[in-house]
Amino acid sequence: MPRTWMPKLLSRSGPLVLFVVFWQGICSAGIVNVDFLPPPTSVGAALLDLFRGGEIANNLFVTLFRAAVGLVLGSVCGILIGLMMARSEAFRAYVTPIVGGTYSLPKSALIPLFALWFGIGNVTAIAAVFLACLLPVIVNTYHGVVTTPKVLVWSAQALGTVEREMSFRILLRNALPDILTGLRIALGFSFVLAISAEMIASTNGIGKLIFLYGENGTYDYMFAAIGCIVIVAFFVDRLVLAATRRLLRWHQSAVEQEQVQS
Amino acid sequence: MLDLDRPKIEIRGVSKSYTSDHGPVVALRGTDLKVKQGEFVSIVGPSGCGKSTLLYIVGGFLAAEGDVLIDGAAISGPGTDRGVVFQEYALFPWLTVYDNIGFGLERQHVPREERAKIVERLVGVIGLSGFENRFPRELSGGMKQRVAIARTLACDPAILLLDEPFGALDAQTREIMQDELLRIWLETRKTVLMVTHDVTEAVYLSDRICVMSARPGQIIEEFTVGLDRALAREELVVSPEFNALRNKVWLSVRRQALAAGRENMRAL
Amino acid sequence: MTAQWAARIPWRSLFSVLLLLLLWELAARARLTPPLFLPAFSVVADQLWRSTVDGTLAADLSLSLARAFGGLLLATVAGVACGLIMSRSRFADWLIDPFVAIGFPAPKIAFLPIFILWFGIESMSKVLLVAFACIFPVIIGTYSAARSVSHLFIWSAMSLGGNRRDLFLRVILPACYPRIFTTFRIAVPVGLITTFTAEMVAGGGGMGATLIYSQRFFESATVFAYIVVMLGVGLVFDTAMRGFQTRFLRWAEE
Repeated sequence: MPRTWMPKLLSRSGPLVLFVVFWQGICSAGIVNVDFLPPPTSVGAALLDLFRGGEIANNLFVTLFRAAVGLVLGSVCGILIGLMMARSEAFRAYVTPIVGGTYSLPKSALIPLFALWFGIGNVTAIAAVFLACLLPVIVNTYHGVVTTPKVLVWSAQALGTVEREMSFRILLRNALPDILTGLRIALGFSFVLAISAEMIASTNGIGKLIFLYGENGTYDYMFAAIGCIVIVAFFVDRLVLAATRRLLRWHQSAVEQEQVQS
Repeated sequence: MLDLDRPKIEIRGVSKSYTSDHGPVVALRGTDLKVKQGEFVSIVGPSGCGKSTLLYIVGGFLAAEGDVLIDGAAISGPGTDRGVVFQEYALFPWLTVYDNIGFGLERQHVPREERAKIVERLVGVIGLSGFENRFPRELSGGMKQRVAIARTLACDPAILLLDEPFGALDAQTREIMQDELLRIWLETRKTVLMVTHDVTEAVYLSDRICVMSARPGQIIEEFTVGLDRALAREELVVSPEFNALRNKVWLSVRRQALAAGRENMRAL
Repeated sequence: MTAQWAARIPWRSLFSVLLLLLLWELAARARLTPPLFLPAFSVVADQLWRSTVDGTLAADLSLSLARAFGGLLLATVAGVACGLIMSRSRFADWLIDPFVAIGFPAPKIAFLPIFILWFGIESMSKVLLVAFACIFPVIIGTYSAARSVSHLFIWSAMSLGGNRRDLFLRVILPACYPRIFTTFRIAVPVGLITTFTAEMVAGGGGMGATLIYSQRFFESATVFAYIVVMLGVGLVFDTAMRGFQTRFLRWAEE
């Protein structure tokens, strides 16, 4: 196994290395103003300094906490609401306009309102993340449940599945690929909203940190902090992808994934 | 000088292997086949024997060892001299019936008025007048099949390559489409090479049937069909000659399918 | 006739919207919360009307939309080109793919301070940030669409006499249109949200800037009015794109 992925990793990181070399090159050669684009060496030094001082770790933790709480709450509520919409026609009829309206609302618009209501800090950020995560999960869960083939439900009934087991044993299982799609969208939103909320209405968190560095003109630290977010977001996304692949071994999309890779 | 004995299509020692996750697979090994001008030849064989691969090689889509000659000249890639009808039709879903049929003519820069004339005639031939502006998704399987044939005929190819052309149709539509293909072929007398797994279809349509062995594919047996084309389907399919030939071909294919099954069991 | 017409109206959906508005109005009138937190619906509607009449809303909205769609246009053109080139050239794929893999999951709003640093606080930084935020889904969508064009389409076109240029313009690109449009539909809300957020953080006019100023000066009615307008903008564009899809991309439906 290591023999196959090591060269692949090296080949994939090739362009990134080239990019950093190019960046360093134009900074050292004086082609760009280093006040506006600090060279990789000073960004790296800033990164090291931030890690030693614990400034990154603390603020990143705050941001991840806000994103995670909002994401978990939003996903759980989203799955339940989506399921209920699919199962009850009356519920769907009452809820649809509210879901449809808020779905296309740019959720960051609510941050000032939440700041007005909940003040500056955790609650505002979590509320914004919650709402942003809720809607894609609702919509995807609903879609996954309503597209369950009738024959699957009938087979389950014929095999003695009672009505109250149906939701969790059949409908949500069938909807799992869609739910995971919704979760991945929600994951992206959770980072964006947490950082936006911190930039607009917070005294801490990585979003605020970046903004402060920008205002103070310590750009190497600003670049380093942004780099941190990018790296964390990348690995969290990979983690979710790997988990998705494992959960969906049975699904057609898993087969397609393999074909695309080979 | 016109060489009357020269075959329209000549396949000489064609071999094809490809790599899979489980090592190299030999799909075809030293396949030979000659098809005369105006002849209708079917290739039948067990599934996975490489008969479609052979057709794609003749189409020029796949490269292979050995020679494929059209009128004595080696092919180099796909060409409009060989029209292809695929199993799933491969109609361009973003084009209407009219534009699908006209696609090849447009590629050859046939002037608009002439193109319109040809397309309209073909729409009439396939009986889809009034459906010109429909998209493929708005057509039934049989209609899509007709459009695919018309699209191929529009370029007036000398050779038709048919890959399981009726495989995706229901039984009734399939018979109707077979009769239409037969009618078009009798009118145009094009050279046809068809791949199918349906023995009855092969006997009903072809002049000659080639049975392909299990993998690696080779043509191992040939049957010449000498049935009276003037007979209607109802009379033909109940005739003893038709059934005797069908049973012979069927037994031949079945031997290969069983051999393939044994081979697969051993591989496991 | 009348019965049919009446049956078409989604009574229950209408009911829940009206109930929500009524509860809002009553809660505000009953002073359950300070009017600063929740101005009555009628007050918000009045503010909306005044902002419309004095032209501030139109000015803010047009500025924000110009920024959002400027960025979207850039992202679509560049992203489709990138995706197509990557699908046809191994070298381009090798070169660009790592950046896409890292850029796609990154929260692009975090780059806002860099864009402000480089391009100022006016429109340029916002347009480019929107383009940056939207380009990754467009690249990925175009790339995977181009890669999954059935080889049967390509073979058919070749056997019908199509050359390389035909293949690209007449087969691969049209086959990608539905997916490109789908990714565009995903990108539009991303573009709007990025624009509004960037305006809230960096100022420089537009819907987001006015929204955040109103909040700072506790003009709650304006805050609500602007949120309602943003909601409306999202709805209008979503409906419009759906309409476009059913009108022009009907061939792609199952």
